[in-house]
Amino acid sequence: MKKYKKFIKPFVLSILFIFFIIISYRSAKPRYKPENFTDIFNDFSWLGNWPKWLDFPLMQPLNSGFDWLIVKYGLFFEGINNFLLGLYTSMKNSLVGLPWPIVIAIVIFITYFASGRKTNTTVMVAFCTFFLGFLSPRYWDKCIMTTCIVLIGMLLCIVVGIPIGIAMARNKKVRNALLPILDLMQTIPSFCYLIPGILLFGLGAVPAIIAIFVYAVPPLIRLTDLGIRLVDKEVIEASEAFGASKRQTLLGVQIPLALPNIMQGVNQCTMMSLAMVVIASMIGTRGIGDEVLLGLQQLNVGMATEAGIAIVLLAIIFDRITQSYGEKIQERTQPKKEIKF
Amino acid sequence: MKFLRNLILSFVFVGAMSLTTSANAGCKVHLGDFDWDSANIHTAIAGYIIEKGYGCEVESTKGSTTPIMAALFDQQIDIITEVWRDNLVQLIEDNLAKGNIIELGVNTPSSTQGFYVDKPTADKYGLKSVDDMKSPEIAKLFADPEAPGKGRMTSCISGWTCYTINLVKHKVYGLDKYYTNFDPGSGGALDAAIAGGFKKGKPVFSYYWTPTGLMGKVDLVKLEEPKYDQACWDEMTKVVEDIKANGPDVYKDTCACEYVNMSLTKAASTKFANNAANKPIIDFIKNYSIPTADVNKSLAFYMDESGGDMEETAKNFLSSNNMWESWVPSDVASKVKASL
Repeated sequence: MKKYKKFIKPFVLSILFIFFIIISYRSAKPRYKPENFTDIFNDFSWLGNWPKWLDFPLMQPLNSGFDWLIVKYGLFFEGINNFLLGLYTSMKNSLVGLPWPIVIAIVIFITYFASGRKTNTTVMVAFCTFFLGFLSPRYWDKCIMTTCIVLIGMLLCIVVGIPIGIAMARNKKVRNALLPILDLMQTIPSFCYLIPGILLFGLGAVPAIIAIFVYAVPPLIRLTDLGIRLVDKEVIEASEAFGASKRQTLLGVQIPLALPNIMQGVNQCTMMSLAMVVIASMIGTRGIGDEVLLGLQQLNVGMATEAGIAIVLLAIIFDRITQSYGEKIQERTQPKKEIKF
Repeated sequence: MKFLRNLILSFVFVGAMSLTTSANAGCKVHLGDFDWDSANIHTAIAGYIIEKGYGCEVESTKGSTTPIMAALFDQQIDIITEVWRDNLVQLIEDNLAKGNIIELGVNTPSSTQGFYVDKPTADKYGLKSVDDMKSPEIAKLFADPEAPGKGRMTSCISGWTCYTINLVKHKVYGLDKYYTNFDPGSGGALDAAIAGGFKKGKPVFSYYWTPTGLMGKVDLVKLEEPKYDQACWDEMTKVVEDIKANGPDVYKDTCACEYVNMSLTKAASTKFANNAANKPIIDFIKNYSIPTADVNKSLAFYMDESGGDMEETAKNFLSSNNMWESWVPSDVASKVKASL
């Protein structure tokens, strides 16, 4: 029996392959098929162009499955929609309602403490924030909308992504199962889930948040996984030698040591969220992205570029804050050079 | 040595490939296509006839209205088979005057566009005209989750002229107090918003038009607006063009009326049309015209039977109709027939 073990997998796969071909032949429309099944073996013209009957019927089941999802779980998606939308509108309204100098002050405050009181970074971020409104007063509110969407998307990514990353690092089976899914999420064209997002959630901010999640969570998961696996074996052994439980090792040793990598993941996640929120303007998401889209559609190069610069500034702000926070953590976790043994 | 031999062989191979592809490139036609399905069908049918009947190499570029129209004015695109002329009056007349394009007549007689409400909601609340929409209770049905207290009308994409036309209409009709003129961002998103509303059984209030494939699948009722009047439309167009150039702040009170039962037209770039070698193709495009009902039939075939294959849809149209045989000389018609 052991001798045949290596043939099991190819055998199952070829059975599956034949099964797929039979399905495709049976489901093809009669006008595409030869009159008799045996004609295939007499007339070989179908080897020239790809024959119409050799067409795996994936579109119809996907469509009906999607309809079923909308009808059956409509309420469920409505719940998610209302929750995210409530979060978004309350955040947006409170930020838009604030006078703009206060918003800039809040950003300065956050940067100052997140960067570990670095004046350079703080001045740079403050300057960029000021320039958002300075470029065009119209941009200020739109940038706030974009920021809110990105923040909520990131929050969702962190809440879901980091635990998944940890689970992947600790269990090889989980990792093997999840890696192809992450690949799929990163490579599938964004419109494949943007348009279904409209059907499920309606036009606006929520499909954008979902799209951000799909697009931006993989790097965070990967970097969390990598960060935890890169923690020195000796350090873990040492903590186990001192009698730390698995939980204590994870929370007290692995996560703190992996934090710089995790922060890098959060940083990547932010940048990708910002990229997605611009694409999401094509499904009616309000924000700075629709200025770019409008400029493009009206062939107004100046308008598109101006809005593009605003997006770059927004990216710099996000990048500086998350990056400098990561550096601060790294300084804390790495042993200082002055210490000599 | 082996590497060198392979290199030479691959060059020979690539060279042979390019020779075979350029062999039939006696003429080249660049068609402009848009991101909605009726335009795609016309491009597919016209492209098929030009390719098989006239033996030309056909390239088609798909995009949003403004970039594609700009490429036509810039002589990069040769022919567009569906131009929403009435939405682009100013732009087209400017470029006709400059001699950048020539018009080639009507492609689909009598298409309509306007404000639509789904039938169940329209029946339940007796919504017949835009005036019926003006009440807070009705607006609540179409609530815009991002603009509390207002309803949402899914409108055109901000790059389409009808977005600004709808903006002006909203103000003139007094709808702007109750509804947002919501830009869905792209043609696909507009369709998805309507289809999603119907799937979930939610009220739909949207700008839309015929002929479209979606129109055959959902039950939308067109709301009555003040009757079309040329003088009124011209007055409104001026305001619309002003807003497009200078932003929404320059709005001033104007008259407004329903969209005219418009004819979609065809256009070609002057450079292409003036080339004597292209005359047969220009003549064919001039003759090209498909009634709304047949466009709808083709759209239904495209959505339900073709499996999303435009060429298949074009072939189906050509083999189930013979109206196209009168557009082209008989030798071209027989070549097309032979290829079906």
